[in-house]
Amino acid sequence: MAELEINSLMKQFGAFQAVNDVNITVNNGEFVFLLGPSGCGKTTTLRMIAGLEMPSSGRIAIGGRNVTFLRPRHRNVGMVFQDYGLYRHLTVFGNIAYPLEVRRLQRAEIARKVSAVARTMQITEVLQRKPDQLSAGQLQRVAIARMLVRDADVFLMDEPMSHLDAQLRGQMRAELRHIQKSVGVTTIFVTHDQLEAMTMADRIIVMKDGEMLQFATPREIFERPATEFVATFVGEPQMNVFDVRITRIQGKIAAMTEDFVIPLDARWMQENGVENLVGQGVRLGVRPEHISVSDRAEGGHGVAAELYSFEPTGAENLYVLKCGGVTITTRSSTTETAHLAKGEGSRLYAGFDPNWIYLFEPGSGRTIAQAAASRSENEEM
Amino acid sequence: MKKLSSMPESPSAPPAQRNWWVYVVLILVCVVNFLPYLRVVMAGFMDGATSSSATPIWFFSPSLEAFDYLIFEKGIMKNFFNSVVVSLASTFFSVTIGMFCAYALARYDFPGRDDVSFWVLTNRMMPPVAVLIPIFVTFQTAGLLDTLLGLIILYTAMQLPFVVWMLTGYFRDIPRRYEESAMVDGDTWFAAFRKVTLPIMAPSITATAIFVMILSWNEFAFATFLTSNQAKTMPPAIMAYSIGADIKWNVLGAAVVLITAPLILFVLLLQRQLISGLSQGVVRK
Ligand SMILES: Nc1ncnc2c1ncn2[C@@H]1O[C@H](COP(=O)(O)OP(=O)(O)OP(=O)(O)O)[C@@H](O)[C@H]1O
Ligand SMILES: [Mg+2]
Repeated sequence: MAELEINSLMKQFGAFQAVNDVNITVNNGEFVFLLGPSGCGKTTTLRMIAGLEMPSSGRIAIGGRNVTFLRPRHRNVGMVFQDYGLYRHLTVFGNIAYPLEVRRLQRAEIARKVSAVARTMQITEVLQRKPDQLSAGQLQRVAIARMLVRDADVFLMDEPMSHLDAQLRGQMRAELRHIQKSVGVTTIFVTHDQLEAMTMADRIIVMKDGEMLQFATPREIFERPATEFVATFVGEPQMNVFDVRITRIQGKIAAMTEDFVIPLDARWMQENGVENLVGQGVRLGVRPEHISVSDRAEGGHGVAAELYSFEPTGAENLYVLKCGGVTITTRSSTTETAHLAKGEGSRLYAGFDPNWIYLFEPGSGRTIAQAAASRSENEEM
Repeated sequence: MKKLSSMPESPSAPPAQRNWWVYVVLILVCVVNFLPYLRVVMAGFMDGATSSSATPIWFFSPSLEAFDYLIFEKGIMKNFFNSVVVSLASTFFSVTIGMFCAYALARYDFPGRDDVSFWVLTNRMMPPVAVLIPIFVTFQTAGLLDTLLGLIILYTAMQLPFVVWMLTGYFRDIPRRYEESAMVDGDTWFAAFRKVTLPIMAPSITATAIFVMILSWNEFAFATFLTSNQAKTMPPAIMAYSIGADIKWNVLGAAVVLITAPLILFVLLLQRQLISGLSQGVVRK
């Protein structure tokens, strides 16, 4: 058990910059997620922590010990690979016992540890089988068991759940989080599934193109995203973002598209200096759950829209609306929208919650103004 | 997980086809391949006169005359022993060295890697006659003519490209994950290679070794030119003992029995490893 510190970590493959300036400090026992789209350098970062890839520059310290260029076996990390990496010539028992045999533990001690961890992972019945006689779910449990069996300082997991079906993944999420907390070993978990990260993580590192965009708690990532990319990457369905122009209409400042006007919150505008943006084009973001739909143009539902597609998901209904040239997705509870039209082409009215509007800089995607509500809620915490 | 009672048949397993003509073709192929061999083996158990009669004789009283001649008069067991030593040693060395070459080619990206692979492959295409004279001269200079050591070195060098070429493909099929996983678990690179990669590769290595051993066992051209007496192996020995002014068919037959018996035994014993090794990477899950 140890904390993990990474300073300005870089990795080049030839001229290609796979990981660019990653800086993180992970506390002892923390469950940290590396989240990002495919090819953003998550695996590469993890492999550098494990010692399977040498960094081009930077520093990695585990428990205060500089391990940057040490061989894997001198680092004491446990790892689950993207495709499990189980040995197909050994039984499940042999696989789990392998790291212990390498450490020359007593046979009795090995048997004891393996059966303890097999019980935790519920794979006791399959201990004598070979990996090719297991289901994907069992394989994954074995891979995790092999990692857990060791007294490692840091656990590394590379998309261990990507081969599981949705239902099993749901179960494993709760189970893994529970196990991580009870074992208490610092863990880095790589995933491209935002739901996994949001539900299990203590903190999330969002990566893109080898760069670290934000390192914060799931809630902070969700409510106060650092960039437009982070904002759209987490949350399902993703945040609606479109181009607007900040304009002064009859003395009031509002965000305007070619087809409609979104009124903004006065205090929020003042705090974020939105007045200075008048006349400029920015990107406006609002999450689907912060747009309400109505069949009448009243009570703040000022944006006329045409229903493009209606997607019921059970407890919630998704309305995909065309407001002139802008397509937005809304999400509201089934009961609230029971009375609304569901036929394509129906006329509806959308209302944007002024407390949950984000503004992003057009080119860089940097967040100019976080939502007003996120601010006050975070301050209360 | 609950199993459905009315599980439909898996589409990936079509009903086994049983076509009678497949067996006809197979039997035909077997007969065509096996009859000449049978005939030669039969000749080995005939006496000199019967074997060289003008009309083929199918029924005869067996005699061990030819074996007696080969083993006691000519001392062919010495050649047999030479062949065993040379093929075992050259197989051992070429597979061991080739394994590491193949591993390096499969795992590491270094400048000129593709050139090395290509060179290894083209080496195989060179007709032995083309290098016979340079090798003869080299052997003469180095004092390796008619020595077992010379043949072992030569066969090792000859088989190396084949081993490298076969094993590189198999190594490529084994994900690096296995070694990496072992290294993270605390092994050195070599321990990971020995405990994880080699066991997984064992069937492929065995199959390659069997091939190489058979090739070395049967090698004729170089053995004929580079050995005369002390280090003569089976193939040139058979030639020398059975073919003089005329061909002694029964001696040839007996020699064929002696040279093929170990191969047949060997392949029968190891056929499962051979097949599983050759099909590795093809039918693997
Ligand atoms: N050995 C290598 N040589 C060259 N380029 C590499 C190498 N390994 C990775 N890359 C490149 O580095 C980038 C990051 O790869 P990495 O495997 O870290 O992505 P990832 O975030 O794990 O993606 P995924 O979610 O698909 O697993 C990719 O563009 C990849 O092509
Ligand atoms: Mg990856």
